[in-house]
Amino acid sequence: MRSFAKKIGMQQIELMAPAGNFESLQAALDNGADSIYFGVEQLNMRARATMNFTLEDLPEIAKRCNAKNVRTYLTLNTIIYDHDLSIVKTLLKKAKEVGLTAIIAMDQAVIAAARELGLEVHISTQINVTNIETVKFYAMFADTMVLSRELSLRQVEKITEQIEKEQVKGPSGRLVEIEIFGHGALCMAVSGKCYMSLHSYNSSANRGACKQNCRKKYTVIDQETGFEMELDNEYIMSPKDLCTIDFLDQVADAGIKVLKIEGRGRAPEYVAKVIKCYREAIDSLHNGTYDKEKVISWMQELEKVYNRGFWSGYYLGQKLGEWSTIPGSSATQKKIYIGKGVHYFPKSNIGEFKIEAYDISLGDNILITGPTTGAQELEVTEMLVNDDKLSKGQKGDSVTIPLDFRIRPSDKLYKIVENKVEA
Amino acid sequence: MVVVTLQRDKCIGCNYCVEMAPEQFAMSKKDGKSVLLRSKDKKGFHTIKSHDDVIYDNCEKASKACPVKIIDVKQV
Repeated sequence: MRSFAKKIGMQQIELMAPAGNFESLQAALDNGADSIYFGVEQLNMRARATMNFTLEDLPEIAKRCNAKNVRTYLTLNTIIYDHDLSIVKTLLKKAKEVGLTAIIAMDQAVIAAARELGLEVHISTQINVTNIETVKFYAMFADTMVLSRELSLRQVEKITEQIEKEQVKGPSGRLVEIEIFGHGALCMAVSGKCYMSLHSYNSSANRGACKQNCRKKYTVIDQETGFEMELDNEYIMSPKDLCTIDFLDQVADAGIKVLKIEGRGRAPEYVAKVIKCYREAIDSLHNGTYDKEKVISWMQELEKVYNRGFWSGYYLGQKLGEWSTIPGSSATQKKIYIGKGVHYFPKSNIGEFKIEAYDISLGDNILITGPTTGAQELEVTEMLVNDDKLSKGQKGDSVTIPLDFRIRPSDKLYKIVENKVEA
Repeated sequence: MVVVTLQRDKCIGCNYCVEMAPEQFAMSKKDGKSVLLRSKDKKGFHTIKSHDDVIYDNCEKASKACPVKIIDVKQV
């Protein structure tokens, strides 16, 4: 493998964050994402999500990202039917109009329509690019390609080396850039191309409507004998989540240019936490301070938010998958809703909240989320309860806390508590 | 009487309702979502009331097939 030392001084890896709503978008911007990807309307792989951006949100997304010089990628990567062709064009025209950086596409109709408008195209992992010849083929249309999540880093490196050697360039004239998934959920099927949800619920994963039935418990029975197979774990189709922060040096050595974080369906505090950790990790790789101690502390942080346990995916060449042992998350922390934002006093830098459930005490770790506020986490070190200096506020109380950021009436207030996971 | 309701803003455009009940549903070429033909829109709920009970079975099939469960069929 090429040594990382040779690469210091080279272009830094781009950290790409997911955004399923404005809360997550802001959390990603506040925590150091270089680029953001998001879907609008129904033609994206998270169409089922209760929160989804609409066409009307595009100008605001572009405005917020442009202000921070953050690149914007619109996911338009589902299967496309004839009746979708018109809305595809409408979405692409709007993307061009508001100045989005690129379109993440799978269907050839989307690729062709985007190129016709002069939009930059990125090849989605749904195309499952696994070799250099496929990279060369799509280089006719695209400047960035997400490789299949099932490749090993050795295979990824061969592709990036070959791109340089053969000078494989995209329509922009630049060398094709390779992107891989760095963190988040993995599927039991090849890079999301799964039909299990469609067959069992009529709900196609390839139209963004996955019902995630792979995450349930299953037993395997031999139909001939009726014997039940003995398995050490009944979640036989639910892989653990991918995490690469502990071998990010090897990921960088493979010559990738973009590291994508999965999670458009995840909460804003998840986006905040994961992006913050990977931002620090990429920066420390770049300035030569990436070490084991830092990795341990990042891992502890990442375990606090939604996860199914971590493994390294297929990047390090493991032959067998690692399966989750629980139906949901094994996060070490959880949030409890306790109230909402009321007012911010900018002169004194104080936020006022109304407590609507449970209580709040000095020393509590709180989380404030909102479409403009993003996801802010802090410890309560000082507060007034109904204008008195008390150490605890109850349901119905008005609580003021010194804050160095503005809060709004659309904000929600949560308490962060320890989460006991039962396997 | 059969009352069919479609909450079309939540449609993901999978086309199943058209396959099951082509007389009552069509895909919009404008926004790629399902349209309940001849329906009236009341705050996003598109409804038809029909005295033709024959449509019940197909609309019920469409309702069952819909992955996002936005089709409601009632016999009143």
